[in-house]
Amino acid sequence: MRAYADLREFLSVLQQERQLLHITEPVSLEPDVAAAACALTQLGEASPAIEFTNLLGYANARLVMNVHGSWPNHALALGMDKRAPLRDQFFEFARRYRQYPGDLERMASAPWHDVVVDGDVNLYDLMPLFRVNRGDGGYFIDKPCVISRDPDDWDNDDVENVGVYRLQVKGRNRLGLQAVPQHDIAIQLAHAEERDEDLPVAIALGNEPIITLMAATPMLYDQLEYKMAAVMQGKPYRVVKTAKGLDVPWGSEYVLEGRILARQREPEGPFGEFPGYYSGCHRYPVIEIDRVSHRKDPIYDAVYVGRPWTELDFLQAMTTSVPLFVQVNATFPEVVAVNALYTHGLVVIVSTRTRYGGFAKAVGMRVMTTPHGLGYAKIVIVVDADVDPFDLKQVMWAMSVKVNPAGDVMIVPNLPVNLLDPAGQPGGMAHKMIIDATTPIAPDVRGHYGQELDTPQRTDAWRHRLAALMEELEP
Amino acid sequence: MSRAADNTPAVCPRCRSTTTAVRSTSPVAGVWTVFGCTTCFYAWRSTEPEENSSPDTYPAVFRLRPEQLANLPVSPSIPPIRRRSSGQR
Repeated sequence: MRAYADLREFLSVLQQERQLLHITEPVSLEPDVAAAACALTQLGEASPAIEFTNLLGYANARLVMNVHGSWPNHALALGMDKRAPLRDQFFEFARRYRQYPGDLERMASAPWHDVVVDGDVNLYDLMPLFRVNRGDGGYFIDKPCVISRDPDDWDNDDVENVGVYRLQVKGRNRLGLQAVPQHDIAIQLAHAEERDEDLPVAIALGNEPIITLMAATPMLYDQLEYKMAAVMQGKPYRVVKTAKGLDVPWGSEYVLEGRILARQREPEGPFGEFPGYYSGCHRYPVIEIDRVSHRKDPIYDAVYVGRPWTELDFLQAMTTSVPLFVQVNATFPEVVAVNALYTHGLVVIVSTRTRYGGFAKAVGMRVMTTPHGLGYAKIVIVVDADVDPFDLKQVMWAMSVKVNPAGDVMIVPNLPVNLLDPAGQPGGMAHKMIIDATTPIAPDVRGHYGQELDTPQRTDAWRHRLAALMEELEP
Repeated sequence: MSRAADNTPAVCPRCRSTTTAVRSTSPVAGVWTVFGCTTCFYAWRSTEPEENSSPDTYPAVFRLRPEQLANLPVSPSIPPIRRRSSGQR
């Protein structure tokens, strides 16, 4: 476990761990920045972060991408060994998640107080904005932590919200905000708009890696992301208050302060989104920025989104799997692990012990009825407890031999699904499917499962011995 | 954000409105200009590939027509204004 003070400290660790590339030659904002970030996703499972320091048109801009974009980077963000297996990262994430809440450490000043632009803000000057995908409606700030409070419960820290919501830059100090009704910020905006008041927001950019993961986690409305970040990093989370009373990470590179304009909606989008399809255009809320504060030589952190997998998939991997696991396990303690890594959990693989015939199907239905599952979990695959849901070879074996579609496939008609799922018909509605790939047990007596292969005696001892020898082989 | 007399494109590559304007110019002078449309909020940089900057080559699949712009779904919906009560902040 490790508490990174800021993005800079994390980048120095990525550097030490050989997980950071530097591009110092001149690079055009389009199409090269996105092309380089896309190429990284095609270079294997351990792709590094990338820093650009010579962007055409900027004198000294610094842009980093792919900071969370591989399992080694994700492990390092959690303060784990970069070789930590996926399954270990899941169980460690879940262990910490269950220790909620941690504490805040309130600081009086922050490095981002160094430079202040008050009035006459020009975002295009302040940060290297660029188009990610050719059909995007413009330039998006796509890795922000947006901080807001509930106007009906202003002083209650637990309902303060930190969320990742994409922001379209529409003018020098004007942003579009994607806030769908399911988002926490939509609840707060509704309360402000019922009062006919603007909603103050702070937008923190360039953050240490944990708060971004927490801001991407579908937590409960009265759970504060900073308090979850504190237990995830094993140390109280440092925040600084803005003049409006919003808590902002101490270590941010940039802090934009402004207001969501009450009762206004403007065309926004499209933006290439996590399913690997564009979002379409909507009329979304609008933010006006009044003030920007930033560190000296600030670092702008952005995410590339393309056909999965990209960095975005790592941001919504364990952050989706663990809340689902905690919620389903609270009802069914038999559930061992949940893999919701695929497209924010449109496909979920859950491993569970089974108590009697049909049990696995009930577990699958519980996954669908979690708050996140309502909009995702279109296909739920249930496997036995001895199948690692993060090892797709094992999952495919279970699907191959444990499934008889005659009795193991359930289709549940017309359930809600996220609007961004291109398969929805109409958009936002889909049938969902449970595939029971567990071994039938009584009174479900289908199939012939009495003679399953196991491992020879003393295999475990040999595995330890040989693993040590293999380690010695490494250079 | 005024209309520059010199090189501002006359129409938006995406919606073909004439409401185009300069959004900003590069901090290092003379490298690029960002243009924007105040009707559909499309933005593009003078140095981008032509499919993003020219109405003639802008991909048809991403075009926005006036009737589409007029019917974009609103999200989240705008609630009615509450009657003020003394307890309100």
